[in-house]
Amino acid sequence: MSRLLRLLSLLLVLALGAAACASADDDADDTAPEVEETDDADSEEEPDESDGDADADADEETVELTQGDGSLLDAVIAADEVRCGTRDALPGFAVLQPDGTHEGFDNDFCRAVAAAVLGDAEKVNFIDLETADRFTALQSGEIDVLIRNTTWTASRDGGEGATFLTTNFYDGQGMMVETGAFESLDDMDGAVVCVASGTTTEGNVATEFARRGLSVEVLSFEDTNLIQEAFLAGRCDGWSSDVSQLSALRTAYPDGESALTILAEVFSKEPLAPAVRDGDTAWAQAVNWAVLATIQAEELGITSANVDDFLGSDNPIVQRFLGVEVDGAVLDPGLGLPTDFNYQVISQVGNYGEIFERHITPLGLERGPNAQWLDGGLLYAPPYR
Amino acid sequence: MTTTTPTPEQPTSGSERSTAPAAVPFWRNVRVLAWTFQLVVLGLVIVVLAILFNNVRINSQNQGIPTGFDFLDQPTSFTIPANDLRDTQPVRDAIVEGTLNTLRVSVVGIILATVVGVLIGIGRLSGNWLVRNLARVYVEALRNIPLLGLVVFAYLAIVLTLPRVDDSIQAGNLLIINTRGASIPWPDGTNLLLVGLLALAAIAGWSVRRWRLGVSERTGEPSRVVAWVTPVVLLVLFWGAVLAGVGITSPMIDGPRVTGGMTLQPEYFALLMALVTYTASHIAEIVRGSIQAVPRGQGEAAKAMALTGVQQMRHVVLPQAFRIAIPPIANQYLNLMKNSSLGFVISYFELTKVVSTTIGNRSPAIPAYLVLILIYLVLSLIISLIMNTANRRLELPSR
Repeated sequence: MSRLLRLLSLLLVLALGAAACASADDDADDTAPEVEETDDADSEEEPDESDGDADADADEETVELTQGDGSLLDAVIAADEVRCGTRDALPGFAVLQPDGTHEGFDNDFCRAVAAAVLGDAEKVNFIDLETADRFTALQSGEIDVLIRNTTWTASRDGGEGATFLTTNFYDGQGMMVETGAFESLDDMDGAVVCVASGTTTEGNVATEFARRGLSVEVLSFEDTNLIQEAFLAGRCDGWSSDVSQLSALRTAYPDGESALTILAEVFSKEPLAPAVRDGDTAWAQAVNWAVLATIQAEELGITSANVDDFLGSDNPIVQRFLGVEVDGAVLDPGLGLPTDFNYQVISQVGNYGEIFERHITPLGLERGPNAQWLDGGLLYAPPYR
Repeated sequence: MTTTTPTPEQPTSGSERSTAPAAVPFWRNVRVLAWTFQLVVLGLVIVVLAILFNNVRINSQNQGIPTGFDFLDQPTSFTIPANDLRDTQPVRDAIVEGTLNTLRVSVVGIILATVVGVLIGIGRLSGNWLVRNLARVYVEALRNIPLLGLVVFAYLAIVLTLPRVDDSIQAGNLLIINTRGASIPWPDGTNLLLVGLLALAAIAGWSVRRWRLGVSERTGEPSRVVAWVTPVVLLVLFWGAVLAGVGITSPMIDGPRVTGGMTLQPEYFALLMALVTYTASHIAEIVRGSIQAVPRGQGEAAKAMALTGVQQMRHVVLPQAFRIAIPPIANQYLNLMKNSSLGFVISYFELTKVVSTTIGNRSPAIPAYLVLILIYLVLSLIISLIMNTANRRLELPSR
């Protein structure tokens, strides 16, 4: 209900009332009380609203509809569930299992968020989304957080109403071809390339081929199975996607893994990051620090197996990180999360290295840029203090 | 407010009452009631629309989503297969190309679906058991399949089973068929020139037709329009092409692709096949019903005049059946045009595919879909306009 509606309906009722009152007839007497009633109901509503908020305008009302009283963080705690946007069939990252659970790298980060916020990694409601629908789902409040192989770009930050957080996987776009068909991208002049639609992939292929002065025809499909069919039938020469995805898809290729080659050129930066809705800092920070917990833990050498041993550590950095009480004091950084959220994330989900080994290593991918900064990678968690 | 507003109104209606005491009080006046009711409904509709619009605006603003149409000027950052659109061109150009692709498949689809549909519709009433039942199986099978399934099937079963480029089906340089499409030799010239030539040929053909009809009317000899017009049109096209210096390019296999000539895109072909077979099954039923709605005596009278079966249909039954068939067939045409949006599944870049791709590449969803809706609306209205005109011209004049 907006103010406009209220005003217009009031006017309408009044106009009817005026018409009815104008006549000194029996009929008018019948209708007049009715009109009064409606008016009363309306004017009763009015003070209610001004009680709560004297200057309540339409903007605040609509926000209330989607976000409750404040941050989504409170809403998630109240609902006791994190609604996480994911997908159903990307080996390594998110796969819907026959028993209805989701297994994958991205899914474990959803679990980390649930462990941090709610103390229970299983309190996640995974919602499978098509690539083209994912931002709409985020905008409309259908999901709380989007962890679904989503590349952080400027226009998505700006135009999709999404705020991207710490990158949890550094990827890059590559080209997969039939083994022996092409040696490098430069051989692929005039080739047909198949990609998944609704992603940055289409644009990257067009840009990269234009940069090299090559012509290319890009076909895009919603459905990965159709891409594979088209590729098998020779409709396309190349299959382009993020290298991690190509590795995953190659493991499931009917003609066997060796039938396909991923070319050496990686021609885009694809930082895959969790995203939340714009304008909710508290929730964004909560999600962000849940992801950072896994990175920090790996740097400190804490794993799900040894986290309980670390509870007795003398290292003040570890003590602060795990929320251990020292001299009657526990560090609460004021993120709105329980003080032991790092412990919950590590004990229930594991550190970054564990998650990576569980889901990404089986695809045949090295850590590469996804190593700790001390090992020459890009993972770097801000200090927890 | 509640108490103040009615008061100033009261004297006005009171005076009205005193001036015309004998008249029906206006709250019982049918015209006033009707108007009031209509105004109330109109008011409600406006209120609901205003709420929806306001909701979208406010929610979008809160979430930092642009609501304007500036995205139309942003670079597309994707390309369209078999199209010269560059990824640096603005989104509006891509939407124009998408609309043209929708038109390409819709116009050809409508023509083919009509031909196939009419033939099958007639076949449904054939005296030949085999023809009648084949037509029946066609109709019953195809109109009961979801079109999406048909589109994907056409793509997987027809296009993707074609040979790869290196072992194409080949008839010299006249025809090359593989999964990249069917290529044929094609005039090598600007489109404008080709359109001009076609227009010239059409004018020539039309003049000859008019002349032949005139001769037939004056002398009573058969007009034989087809026999006269065909060679004239071909001659004009041939000599026009020779004089304008239009060359012919032949397709040939060049590494991973076919160059030269004209290539029929496989995705276009698959979508067209699915749309035509599906819509034809519906048109066939309309045609059958319309033929059966023509009084039986008409066909019998035509037979009595010793017209052959084809002549009976062509000159007596079908012209009357079409009067009945045009409105429902127009509906099928609209469906076909809208169903062409299923091309997005098989990567045929028609309007819907283009718009959803630009949304994936950062165009805001609501304004982009508004543009999409408006374009479909305009296309639908154009088809309706054409069909309504045809309907009016075919209508029996009646008083």
